[in-house]
Amino acid sequence: MNRTALSGSAGVQMHVVTTILLNNMKRRAFIEKSLLSAALLFIRPAGLVAAWNGKSFQQVSIEQAFLNVLGTKTPEKTNRITLTAPAVASDSSAVPVEINTDIKADMLYLFVEKNLTPLVFSCSLHGGSIPWFALNIKMKESSLLYGVVREGGKYYAASVHVDVLAQAC
Amino acid sequence: MRILAKEDNGIVSVKVIISHPNESGSRKDESGNLVPAHFIKEGFVSLNGQPLLELQLGASVSKDPFLQFKFAGKKGDRLSLRFTDSMDNEFSAEAAVI
Repeated sequence: MNRTALSGSAGVQMHVVTTILLNNMKRRAFIEKSLLSAALLFIRPAGLVAAWNGKSFQQVSIEQAFLNVLGTKTPEKTNRITLTAPAVASDSSAVPVEINTDIKADMLYLFVEKNLTPLVFSCSLHGGSIPWFALNIKMKESSLLYGVVREGGKYYAASVHVDVLAQAC
Repeated sequence: MRILAKEDNGIVSVKVIISHPNESGSRKDESGNLVPAHFIKEGFVSLNGQPLLELQLGASVSKDPFLQFKFAGKKGDRLSLRFTDSMDNEFSAEAAVI
């Protein structure tokens, strides 16, 4: 129902408030929200949070995705990032991937070279977050995975290859 | 959304699973029609009221997103998670670290 384009975290916050009564999930959350409203404002301090960045999730080549997301086509290769994924994916709709590093990263990213949208996710790390993340991803075809981290404004990357036997979505 | 947050030696490991179709918009159903895109886009995690993680996610995340992360913490720490999807639905939950 609410198809208006969102821009800026203030717009998203207002949109959240106005759509809050419109479905069951939100109605339950509304009670939590009225109690947690102070915490909610804290969760999204202005300037800290970017709205979902559509440009980062465009269907482009891996090089263009690096450029769109990181501002560089060539993050520095490093062996200080450990990217763990099966050599052969038994289910290309749910491939388990883990990214780990001893670099004191403030951002983590995962890319799949040959997915329609190469960027899988980005994560901004605050407070006592540890630069470690794991999730299940979809892969279109056999491809390199790139785990990228940012430290001091500079990007570092590691890659692993995953073979896909049958195509997923 | 199910959350499990366990502390061991000062490190809390969190597992989150969100029931969600996470459709990319590229998949066709049995009739050959494209299933519309519908996926989790953003996640915000706070720890004891302070921002911990901000996630931006796309349609390459699998159906029923299963996410794991870690942070320095202790038993009793309060986690608050909120995810939004591409149709402006919200999914929120809280959990205490055990």
